[in-house]
Amino acid sequence: MTTGSVLAFDLLAAIVAAAGWLGAGATAVAGRRRAATAVGAAALAATLARAATTILLARAGWWFAAEKVVIAGPLLLAAVLVAGPRLLRPAPVPFLFAGYALTAGLLVTVLHGYPVSAGAGLLAVAGVAGATAVTWRFLGSGPVPRTAVVVAVAALVAGTGAAATAGAVPGVPHAHQHRDVLPVGEPTQRFTLTAGTAVVPAGDRDVAAWAFNGQVPGPQLTATAGDVLEVTLRNRDIGRGVTLHWHGYDVPNSQDGVPGVTQDVVLPGQEFVYRFRADRAGTYWYHTHAASDVGVRMGLYGVLVIHPKPVIGVDVTVPVHTLAGVPLPEPVVQPVAAGDPVRLRLINTDDTTHRYALAGAPFRVAAIDGSDLRGPAPLSETAVLIPAGGRYDLAFAAPGTPVALYVDGRMAWSSGPVSAATGGWPVLDPLTYGTAEPLPWSRYDREFTLVLDRGVDLRGLLPRYAHTVNGAADPDIPSQVVRPGEIVELRIVNRSLVVHPWHLHGHHVLVLSRDGRPATGSPLWLDSFDVRPGEVWEVAFRADNPGMWANHCHNLPHADAGMTLHLIYA
Amino acid sequence: MRKAFVIVTGMLLAVFALQFVFAAVGAFTRPGGDGSYTLHSITGMAVIPGLCLLTIVCAVLARAPGRVLAMTVLPLGLVVLQALIAMLARAFTDASGASTTAGLVVGGLHAVNAIIVVHVVVGVLRAAQELAAPAPTVQVAQR
Repeated sequence: MTTGSVLAFDLLAAIVAAAGWLGAGATAVAGRRRAATAVGAAALAATLARAATTILLARAGWWFAAEKVVIAGPLLLAAVLVAGPRLLRPAPVPFLFAGYALTAGLLVTVLHGYPVSAGAGLLAVAGVAGATAVTWRFLGSGPVPRTAVVVAVAALVAGTGAAATAGAVPGVPHAHQHRDVLPVGEPTQRFTLTAGTAVVPAGDRDVAAWAFNGQVPGPQLTATAGDVLEVTLRNRDIGRGVTLHWHGYDVPNSQDGVPGVTQDVVLPGQEFVYRFRADRAGTYWYHTHAASDVGVRMGLYGVLVIHPKPVIGVDVTVPVHTLAGVPLPEPVVQPVAAGDPVRLRLINTDDTTHRYALAGAPFRVAAIDGSDLRGPAPLSETAVLIPAGGRYDLAFAAPGTPVALYVDGRMAWSSGPVSAATGGWPVLDPLTYGTAEPLPWSRYDREFTLVLDRGVDLRGLLPRYAHTVNGAADPDIPSQVVRPGEIVELRIVNRSLVVHPWHLHGHHVLVLSRDGRPATGSPLWLDSFDVRPGEVWEVAFRADNPGMWANHCHNLPHADAGMTLHLIYA
Repeated sequence: MRKAFVIVTGMLLAVFALQFVFAAVGAFTRPGGDGSYTLHSITGMAVIPGLCLLTIVCAVLARAPGRVLAMTVLPLGLVVLQALIAMLARAFTDASGASTTAGLVVGGLHAVNAIIVVHVVVGVLRAAQELAAPAPTVQVAQR
């Protein structure tokens, strides 16, 4: 059982336990003693199940269990001690007290689980004591116990105070422009991208889109290693503004295209010129980083391929995207001569993971995220999962028979008629693929832990249920500060129930381990990787690209809902 | 205040009916996506909980008996449960984000719970109406 499924079952047990005790209380109020005993017994079982999931999660990592042990734990214990002995002699107040205690523990996990805060704990206690006092007033015998009222009021006052002070933590100022003057040389490749609203064909109909040069995806930018690229970005009529971010290509900071951080947003009628040297061959893509959630979804993206000097064989790019519910690109049939080397550059420009399967020929995963793998073995009947923003290059020699690429079961590219059922194929784990190499570093100068979760964010104008990092949401997440030349270890922990594709700008990170198990395959230098629920990834990078860099979840609605922070060089 | 209790509970029931309509709007929007359920989400996460709280306040001010008050609190709890079920259903997806059998079973509970909440709110509305129209037994007791 994975930690991710334990997280889901923990939530399920907490819901059933809370609802069960409240239901048992209501049944007792109605005077149905036998039914109350039965419902209470079920609630007790669910309560013990939550205790078990809490222990499992604590063993998987303190990040997953902290608030369940420190806040929900004592509440759960009190519930069992108060309601348990009354199981055979049902009484409304003890059962309802247990219901309030379990509900409070559940709400702490869901609303503000990590890090454990005194405010959340005290407010939970205040809620339980207050609700119990009110219940006693209506259902109990005798006057409301003073202690319950005193505890409720004291915890409410102290909890509100603690929550308010926690909110006053100052963040690092975000308005920052890093200026670097680049001696990149004369451009050898020039492109112009004009962003504007357009109507483009998708599937069998026309849809409204935002497009570069009137097409979705935007024009493919192709260069050869060593070229100096000059890309002029113009905005015709995108009111929210545009920029260009070179996803996966580690450009100097001033060319990174993050509005408000590395440049000003390009508004209608304005333009911005990007210039950088393309030295590292590989598969990359570009997209707007202004209002990126809606902008990329509406179509402001395209492919950037940098070829090594000699271009050999057949080179196909498959940028997968969902435009207005229609999966792109349109299926392509492209005959290939037997024996030709083929390179399929698979790009996921969506917000969620896609599953790719190549049928009809053994293949190698030659590169991931633009970096070649070491000693990739031939694979067949194996699917690959590409995270949001990620790229895999599949290489194979064309056989005499047709081959086909399926994306989530839909044919996206083929060299002839093929029928294959790829749904049951096993999935490649890149951490065990290829041959290992000793780590380039023996020490780490700095260590950061990012705990990904959901939580209530009250610091903005309107309260929101944000996607959080270490309990805070953008713009209140403290920036991570590094010095040039340092080796930085990044630990990313996902205690939420959804996948977070992590993306650090300006650097490629080397994967060290996942869930405590070291990566044993080829060195993996990634810029986009899926941290699934319950997973702990340890990655490292050398701080060799000064500036201020976005470090965020590439499920762009999540980034928009708070899951963005910054890495800055001191 | 008893009139207000009836009116607010009636409004709550009406919004619940609308909420079913919004769910259908989400289901039939083409092309479908996370955005199709915006109306449903906003109503479910903001309007309905707000009205639930208002109903509880009205019930307290109308001096509703304990049993009616408990019944009035119940919809709020079930609405919180409703949001948690939706969240949990989304958690049970496979690696590429597609739904799984477990997720659909949990998701189905979202509909079952919705029917239960409406049932409870109808009960609250009846109780509120009884409270507003003085029952004959009360008059007997007053004599």
